Amino acid sequence: MNPRICFYFQVHQPYRLRDLRITEVGLGDVDYFDNNKNEQIFRKVAEKCYLPANALMLEMLENHPDFHISYSLSGVFLDQCKEYGQDVLESFQKLAATGKVEFLAETYYHSLASVISLEEYCEQVTKHVHTIEELFGMTPKVFRNTELIYNNEIAQIARLMGFNGIIAEGADDYLNSRNPNDTFRPPTFRLPANKEKIVREHRPLAKRSRDIAVLLKNYKLSDDVAFRFSDKSWVGYPLDAYTFTDWLMNSGGQSVNLFMDYETFGEHQWEDTGIFDFLRSLPAIWQERGIKAVTPSQVIADWNKNQAHVYDVHHTISWADMERDLSAWTGNHIQDAALQSIYALEHQVKMTGNEKLIEAWRKLLTSDHFYYMCTKYWSDGDVHKYFSPYESPYEAYRRYSHALADLRFRLSA
Amino acid sequence: MFGWEYPPFHLGGLGVACQGLVRGLISNGVKVTLVLPHESETNDADVIFPTDEFVQKLRVCSLLQPYSTFASFDTNILKVPKNKRDMYGNNLGEAISNYTEMSVKMTEGLHPDIVHCHDWMTYEAGRRASVAHRVPFVAHIHATELDRTNHAPNEYIYQRERMGFDIADKIIAVSNYTKSVLVNHYGISSDKISVVHNGSSDMPPSVELLESKYSQKKKHPLVLFLGRLVTQKGTVQFLEMASIVHQSRPEVNFVMAGDGHMFEELVDLSCRFGLQDSVVFAGKVGSMEAKQLYTQADCFVMPSISEPFGLVALEAISHGTPVILSRQSGVAEVVDDCFLVDFWDTAKMADCVLTILREEPLAHQLRSYAPRILNNLTWKHQASHVQSIYTDLIHC
Repeated sequence: MNPRICFYFQVHQPYRLRDLRITEVGLGDVDYFDNNKNEQIFRKVAEKCYLPANALMLEMLENHPDFHISYSLSGVFLDQCKEYGQDVLESFQKLAATGKVEFLAETYYHSLASVISLEEYCEQVTKHVHTIEELFGMTPKVFRNTELIYNNEIAQIARLMGFNGIIAEGADDYLNSRNPNDTFRPPTFRLPANKEKIVREHRPLAKRSRDIAVLLKNYKLSDDVAFRFSDKSWVGYPLDAYTFTDWLMNSGGQSVNLFMDYETFGEHQWEDTGIFDFLRSLPAIWQERGIKAVTPSQVIADWNKNQAHVYDVHHTISWADMERDLSAWTGNHIQDAALQSIYALEHQVKMTGNEKLIEAWRKLLTSDHFYYMCTKYWSDGDVHKYFSPYESPYEAYRRYSHALADLRFRLSA
Repeated sequence: MFGWEYPPFHLGGLGVACQGLVRGLISNGVKVTLVLPHESETNDADVIFPTDEFVQKLRVCSLLQPYSTFASFDTNILKVPKNKRDMYGNNLGEAISNYTEMSVKMTEGLHPDIVHCHDWMTYEAGRRASVAHRVPFVAHIHATELDRTNHAPNEYIYQRERMGFDIADKIIAVSNYTKSVLVNHYGISSDKISVVHNGSSDMPPSVELLESKYSQKKKHPLVLFLGRLVTQKGTVQFLEMASIVHQSRPEVNFVMAGDGHMFEELVDLSCRFGLQDSVVFAGKVGSMEAKQLYTQADCFVMPSISEPFGLVALEAISHGTPVILSRQSGVAEVVDDCFLVDFWDTAKMADCVLTILREEPLAHQLRSYAPRILNNLTWKHQASHVQSIYTDLIHC
């Protein structure tokens, strides 16, 4: 049997911080975020990626009955759509209206709450689920955590939250030579009672799921498109749709999970690399060869859970950096201090019941803030530098620490 | 190699850089003959590092000193007995031509593969030597006249520099920043210029020193400036920053170490800013005093208006002190763990100081991460870049 293809795209934009100054701390009603820059970046990505890519997806969905796709749109991205890009939101709604697009659940603020605060984690997922229902008229059944952060506990919690599928990185260390194209299940175990209780009290979906399927990113084939497509030093360059389809067909298993950042199309790989033409030619070739592109829920519907292998992940993994762990967001002094300080305010912030304050606090939970403080490869001019709106990790921390100081001031006032 | 100052007789970072490069080259197996000017032939024999035995130092009688301007030269010459004045020349131009002529004469018996010169005063000597020996000419630039004078150059010096750059087979600039000055203000083709950042002989701070600084809450945090008290070093900007910091943290103390013609003006300015009880002018400090100050400081600020490199930043880092560096400097290109600011943005400079003083995790990370650069930026390593430039020139 030919494998099926499962396309999933991450769509996210953080709220970047303004050049805050210490003299503003405590002035009252200080806006922490750089609205101009956020709008500018949103519009740039909208013109280069979101709008043309969505137009192409719509065309492909309408012309090819066996072509389906899935997205996870972060809550802060959807907020920015409302502020800066109603046209972008509408284009996603058009895609939703085809009935061939699945929207996944995630943390609303694209946060690291899953590894820090269970209660906040549940609340953010709930808020996201409600937002997807409201905007797209469907309830997410499959969960994907921020940047594919994953471990056994996160899988169990997702099941208790009510999801029947979760997606994760297909990490070599845990695959042990098994095929990432197979659908896995997490090991069975019970969470401590207090944790189960928290999830029960803040459950995003009506009831817990009996089982949960784990769909793994095929990072080799995904990265061929996302990272290597325009790399002239790569042996596969230039990649054409026929060759890529051959690779997909030869990779076996139940579904080839191609998970990538949506900005691959037009932003990371510019239009002149031919990325849109490449994408456009895929469905016809697949139709010819009898390959279907399906959604995660379609994969799970045909899943034989009794024969599923266990994906046993004791350490937390993600799809970030070479390490594929949490070291993109944690590990140096400033990252750890910032994370610890912001989560330490959770209880106090929530106690105020002040929606504006809670919202500001939550926007500061977005993982990107900590990603910008990463010093792992700073001197090598790596991806952190490429993606950072700030001059250095220290500038990221300077701004963040002022926002924190102001939040503390507001709480004490 | 034609130089002008060499430790222990040096006024700034230039002598240190020259010595570092010479030692680095020697440890890579390059034989170096160094031609130096000195006020007297007898009082400079006490360089005691063993590797220096391998440097043949040829000394030429001259009154040249770095940072010479016509005015300061006039002062120096007066200290020389009248009957000796002819020998040194009555003005800077003559002194250079004496130095130049003697330099070439003294290298007549040598058979160099390369002639390498440091800054404008040695360029004519280098040119003549390279013609005489028919070997390539490398012009090393540590500081341009534009850096020294805040873009109001002495025409004579500017022309000397230009001549050196024009005839050189290769120019070595101490930073990309300096390279861009040469390209934009001297009209030199960028292909002709290689950048070799200065190295550092400083060791990273010990674990004990870093631990002693950790979580040390001081009643009076200390912010340090170290450099000559001249416009180029951003002295006025330092005081402006200090006055902003003072407004929100009056308990913070500032030390300005160094001397220079702006001393009185700066004292006056600090009083006008109401900083008379917060700023200490330490005068010119020796290496032990400097070490003390670096170690005690909670933050080191180098606000230079134009700084070709800025070795003091690496010295501060080697003492486990967080640094804030002017973006208009060469050292900013190599230090990752620091704050960068434009020299004129004193409000931002003050904000960085206040953030470092408030946020211990930040200060700790800057103290402990920044010294990693010292392991990569050794003189041996930097000299190997210079050596490969030599090799290219000899073989082309």
